[in-house]
Amino acid sequence: MGFLNKLGIGIGAQTAREGARPLAGEQSVHKGNGSVVAVGTNRPPESQETTRGSNGLKEFLWNLDGLGRGTLLDLGPAWQTTLTFFIERGFRVTSDDILRDWSQFLAEEDAKAKAKENVTAEDYAERTPETRAKRFLEENLQYPAASFDALLLWDVIDYLEPSLAKLMIGQLTDLLRPGGVVFAMFHSKKPAGFQRYRVADTTTLQVLSAKTIFPAQKVYQNREIQDLFGRFRTMKSFVGRDQLRETLFIK
Amino acid sequence: MWRKEDGRPQNPNEISTGPVNSTTSPALGPANSKQLSSVPTSSNSVASLSPGIRIKGEITGSEDLFIDGNVEGKVTFHNAVLTVGPNASVKADINAREIVVRGRVEGRLDGTERVQIGSTAKVNGDIRSQRIAIEDGAEYRGKVEAGKAPSRPADNSPAKKFDNAKPMDADANLEKPAPGAAVAGAD
Repeated sequence: MGFLNKLGIGIGAQTAREGARPLAGEQSVHKGNGSVVAVGTNRPPESQETTRGSNGLKEFLWNLDGLGRGTLLDLGPAWQTTLTFFIERGFRVTSDDILRDWSQFLAEEDAKAKAKENVTAEDYAERTPETRAKRFLEENLQYPAASFDALLLWDVIDYLEPSLAKLMIGQLTDLLRPGGVVFAMFHSKKPAGFQRYRVADTTTLQVLSAKTIFPAQKVYQNREIQDLFGRFRTMKSFVGRDQLRETLFIK
Repeated sequence: MWRKEDGRPQNPNEISTGPVNSTTSPALGPANSKQLSSVPTSSNSVASLSPGIRIKGEITGSEDLFIDGNVEGKVTFHNAVLTVGPNASVKADINAREIVVRGRVEGRLDGTERVQIGSTAKVNGDIRSQRIAIEDGAEYRGKVEAGKAPSRPADNSPAKKFDNAKPMDADANLEKPAPGAAVAGAD
């Protein structure tokens, strides 16, 4: 734990300093009170850091126990703590901040649309959510099929357009090996803010308030979640007091 | 813990060159041999590209290099430590045994053993290495691939844990807190 505390450094959408405060030890809840200092002019707003016990993470790790050298895809920002945690357990970790990529993709699409003077019917067809989602996935998440044993999906799905969420889960399913495990979270109501997650220890997640990239797009009901992950054979959920459902899917 | 750079900022130089090999020349051509007088020459010192030096092309070598100038192209130091200093601006894919970044890099970082992103670093590109360290304050955008490549028996997949797993529709745990599943979330 102490070692991880020292490495409590985050990166990705914000500067690493955002996650630089030490962990909260064994306390179940900790409100970060240190100010966030960033390099450069784009200083992010102060973030609040909390920790939450996570039965979903515990179960996720139990399922991966004994795997030996596995491969993990983390669809959040690359955090030093999360990287170190899994690398020390023999995993090869790939961090791919998919929300950041999607944000960048949308910004580029908007810029292209604005630059175009004569908009045709074909252009409109290219801008439907479905075609946009397809184009995005043709450029992203391009990994060999069945190349990952585990996937940290966090609450990404809640923030994606439903058409993209559906296509992306299909693509992610292909990336997982048979028996591969997904750790996802779903909000029971639309969250007011935007949060990032990183692994503190085997049963604890650090939750960091972050600058909103997107508002939550949809609150998924159980049946919708089951439909989305229809190619998975097992699903197990843990509901927290904060109404965040931690869910494990097993391919 | 981290290697300290022996090569410190030198007199500003600007050169344009093709591939440079640090084993034969510390990034300066014969025409610039005057400036070499201020470059460390002992066997223990690190070859360096000072602030103000601009290189377009490919840099390869087998000894450690400290870059504090501008580089555009490709940097390959398979068995050496490549340090990008705080004044450096590098637009290149970097391949080295160990990469330390304290300046600005735009390109892919491929460190066979280790990549360290310092607190003053600004990196835009994917990183791949066995070990990665990111210091407080670093700015980074891109994908990260860290850890040793998996080499496990084919039958040692997580699937073995789920031989007795129930089908999804039959899972009674759905949306019901499992025993002991209460999460100590934020109040």
